[in-house]
Amino acid sequence: MITKALDVTYGLFQAFDRAGSVDALDRTLLDAVSKLGVESTFAGIIPIPGTSRRDQAAHVLLDSTPPGWTERYFKAGHLFRDPTIRRLTADLTPFRWSDIEPAYRADAAARRVMDEAGDFRLRQGFTVPLITLDGRVAGFSFGAERFDPSPELRGMLQLVASYAFGRSIALGEGPPRPEVRLTPREREALQWAADGKTEWEIGELMSISEHGAEKHLRSIRTKLGTASRTHAVAEGFRRGLLK
Amino acid sequence: MIHIVTPENVDRYRDAMEQAYRLRHQVFVEEKGWHDLAKPDGREIDQFDDGHAVHMLAMQEDRVVGYQRMLPTTRPYLLTEVLPELCEVEAPRSARVWEWTRYAVQRDVRDRGRILSPVGSALLAGIVEWGLESGIESIVIEMNPLWLLRLVQLHFRVTPLGLPCRIAGEDTLAVVAAFDVRTLRRLRETRGDAASVLTARPALPQRLAS
Repeated sequence: MITKALDVTYGLFQAFDRAGSVDALDRTLLDAVSKLGVESTFAGIIPIPGTSRRDQAAHVLLDSTPPGWTERYFKAGHLFRDPTIRRLTADLTPFRWSDIEPAYRADAAARRVMDEAGDFRLRQGFTVPLITLDGRVAGFSFGAERFDPSPELRGMLQLVASYAFGRSIALGEGPPRPEVRLTPREREALQWAADGKTEWEIGELMSISEHGAEKHLRSIRTKLGTASRTHAVAEGFRRGLLK
Repeated sequence: MIHIVTPENVDRYRDAMEQAYRLRHQVFVEEKGWHDLAKPDGREIDQFDDGHAVHMLAMQEDRVVGYQRMLPTTRPYLLTEVLPELCEVEAPRSARVWEWTRYAVQRDVRDRGRILSPVGSALLAGIVEWGLESGIESIVIEMNPLWLLRLVQLHFRVTPLGLPCRIAGEDTLAVVAAFDVRTLRRLRETRGDAASVLTARPALPQRLAS
């Protein structure tokens, strides 16, 4: 017998696949989790300590917290005092905010963050730590005035958070970049580089000198704005210049 | 490079398979503490290491630096025999679905920080290349739920088979992950390398060749 939680998860995954924008996905998510007692969602990549307050806000991926809270949070510099953020970077298992209360009870600054969150109807919640493909730690939080999810619901939210985050990143990758024009010879050299050929080999394959191959690759790096050959190949794929 | 070892070519991989069984023992028994798999000779071998298993070895010259094992789901497999509690729905049984097990990477070439290591991504690309050539569409995985986001980002279409459960002290989730050419393109893009990771064209699994 399939549990209701798994059934709801399937429905949500399909809805996330259909969402055409990050906003649409966020609305779908919020609509579904509000039936489970969640009032707001918040998700983002955790900036490394030292990141400016303005850049911190750029790490936010999804945000449906009550108006005023996110501005207040970054302006006050709450990020690195926030006990949920500290816990996220130390331990990658999901947690209820009430689970970590004993750990920050004696820390006045951390308590203030949580008290202020409470003023914005973020008194109770559940946070799912995530790791992105490029190795960055992210967090996905579900909050409300009152929210104490069952173990089953926590398992489901962990799956939903991971999927929604992955889809949001994919949907956010869309903005077109300035077009880059490679000459046919540069395109050929890049294709050989992608196939793992050395500069000497590329020279042989294209019937030019090693120096000539080097020159093509240097020009490609300049046009693509990349520092290394590997990065140029990756960028070539992203821009559809390579097969 | 990723080498695919089946009963047809195992004779050429005697030494490498020795290394693979020792790597499995090191990772699953000594590091992860799955003590019921411990073997006095330090080679972790179980009931699924029979003629139906497909072994994949990541090799740097003669050294095995990474390993994984693919099991057909048309026979009893790990999920159905050892971890049935992870599966709430009917377990997949299809020639087009194989199970990914015993993923192990030598410590010195493992993920730097939390990034998927080049050996790890080569092993994954190995599955997808082999799968696309062999008519396989998806893999069953029992994994830490943290892998879910990675798989979604790599364009696997993931369907959970149950909710996460605690197994041997670690949160574990069973999923079916479907892949296609987009997945391979994404993996190659991530690796910054368009070349095939497989050493030679693998023989088709026998059940699909007939």
